[in-house]
Amino acid sequence: MAAGAWLAPAALTASGRPVLLAGEVERLFLSSVDLEAEENPTLAPLRSGLLALTSHRLLWINEASRSAYSVPLDTVIHAFPPKKSIKNMFASPRVRIQVSASQEGKVGGGRGATSLVITIVLRGGKNDPESFYGRLWEVLKSRSWEVEELKEKENLQMQGLGAGEGPSRVRTAVVGVSGILRKEQEMWESTDKSLQEAFHDLNALMSKAKEMVALAEKMRQKLLSGSAAQANDEELGSKQEMQDWLLSVGIVSPVTKESAGALYHQQLCRQLADFVKLPLEKAGGMIALIDVYCLFNRARGTELISPEDLLQACAIWEKYEVPVMLRKFDSGVMVIQNKAQSDEEIFTKIADLSQKPDSLKMGISPSDAALTLGIAPALAKEHLLNAEGKGLLCRDVSPDGFRFYVNLFKEFDPNDIYLVKDEGLYKAWESTAATVVTS
Amino acid sequence: MRRRPGISGLQTAAAARDQYRLVGENVAKIRTDLMKEQLATFRSQLEEFAKKHKNDIRKNPTFRSQFHEMCSKIGVDPLASNKGFWAELLGIGDFYYELGVQIVEICLATRSHNGGLINLQELCSLLSQKRKTAREAISEDDCLRAISKLKVLGSGYEVITIGKKKLVRSVPTELNKDHNEILELAQGQGYVTVEEVEKRLSWSSGRAMDALETLLKEGLAMIDDGHKDGKRRYWFPCVASIFSSGGA
Repeated sequence: MAAGAWLAPAALTASGRPVLLAGEVERLFLSSVDLEAEENPTLAPLRSGLLALTSHRLLWINEASRSAYSVPLDTVIHAFPPKKSIKNMFASPRVRIQVSASQEGKVGGGRGATSLVITIVLRGGKNDPESFYGRLWEVLKSRSWEVEELKEKENLQMQGLGAGEGPSRVRTAVVGVSGILRKEQEMWESTDKSLQEAFHDLNALMSKAKEMVALAEKMRQKLLSGSAAQANDEELGSKQEMQDWLLSVGIVSPVTKESAGALYHQQLCRQLADFVKLPLEKAGGMIALIDVYCLFNRARGTELISPEDLLQACAIWEKYEVPVMLRKFDSGVMVIQNKAQSDEEIFTKIADLSQKPDSLKMGISPSDAALTLGIAPALAKEHLLNAEGKGLLCRDVSPDGFRFYVNLFKEFDPNDIYLVKDEGLYKAWESTAATVVTS
Repeated sequence: MRRRPGISGLQTAAAARDQYRLVGENVAKIRTDLMKEQLATFRSQLEEFAKKHKNDIRKNPTFRSQFHEMCSKIGVDPLASNKGFWAELLGIGDFYYELGVQIVEICLATRSHNGGLINLQELCSLLSQKRKTAREAISEDDCLRAISKLKVLGSGYEVITIGKKKLVRSVPTELNKDHNEILELAQGQGYVTVEEVEKRLSWSSGRAMDALETLLKEGLAMIDDGHKDGKRRYWFPCVASIFSSGGA
């Protein structure tokens, strides 16, 4: 799309949610937003898309064409508050931001030579420009993207230190046993101290959060790798616990009512679709909705969603192009299913099964289908009934329960019903049925 | 150290090595002990914070993700709301939702060895273990209430009563592979008994009973109480007919 050529394109997930950078957290979603460069009419405006404000970027998403453009917040020089005047009362509210751009007027390539004013037009009636502006300022002030850069640098430094650990001991002139012991002691004391400081109150923890995350990681590593030899029970238990937990970390930036506002269910629905892919694969293409409820909430941490919200999010999957679907059985059980692995595939398998010599003779019972398809009998029965509805099978009800036979009615020629065909399914059936009689 | 010749020299060297080893072991032990201690403090503090500052943590998305990372790395469950007065009275608030998530997690974790059928008592004690820092005890009634909140998501979780025991079933009939195993077992004789299923598949009695009852309800099994040994037989005509005609 040429319209957004002046902005850097951004990646989207399969369900049309932005792919977030490391440590990036989404803060606000607004629908029907235009991006314009009013001073430079040669740049085509972006019309009525979804605007997402994250801690690192401003994203504009076109939902129809599944394309997105981003404005990195570190290029933002200034944000102008929405104007209040009589003139503006009837127009859509606008927030203007000044961003640095390259010589050709392209935004997003780092600090450029010139600057550009982008006008954000909030067309949706419910969008509150003041709150958007407030949130934008908050994010700009916190400068989260710098923290991320710093972290990377620190990581590099730490790696450097780790590699040079051997020589550094000699360098600090703590040779000998007592030296090593002293060094050990110092290290523990400093950890103790930083722990105490960090947990003094919430603000302290917030400011030292990064450090504490690193410490937690270090402890985890040591406990998981180091003490395999001395296996006392409690420790094993806690190890197990940690590994369990590791499985459940996942969603760094959960969609919340606060950030997504009116778009809450829509965004939740997309996030869920992205999330459910992996557990679904592990479960073999079908997973109970309640299990997903647990996994999804675990991945979200403390941002719990209620069962009602989950159900709503699943219910609107139909509206969007996502690779999964919600399925409700007659028994009231709800499952999530892969769309690709849906009925068609099962029908082919059932059709194959129904044409085997044994099934031509005696039909298929739900338990036969269950054993062949590797699924539960109740589900197999459901599939067989569906296949019957499609005209693939015919049922036979006897004291033994349901049995399903291949549908031969399709083989008859309506103009000449007495014609016995010499080829095809009918012939195959006839020959196997005959062997039963003779034996 | 200057090397000295002779047996005494070797002995001193060996003694010195021993000494070093002893010191080394000591240091290693102290190190792990210290780390465990610090880990314990870290944990309890995080748990405390998760409970006390829940709302503040939520307000700041960047910090929230860091907090979760800490929790997950050292194995702290961030879900630790108190039951509180309103939750008790009206069932509102996060308490029962949290409990629900934790219950499902336990069911998922134990599914591989109990087939998705867990004693309510056992569930309760596992749940209390998970929430050991929250000082309130979790009663069976709390469990039942939390499970009832999950009803919205379909009839997947059921509480069934077998004998005097209450069991929670977490696998819906449509996804229950236990039935396949019973059918396979029945292919031998055309029928199975509860004892046989328990013995051959080493299941608990509740699990076998429940699976057979469901198969009965689905119309796949038939009961035969008339046998001399007085044990109820579950016949499976659907597999038996293959068996009989295969043998004919």
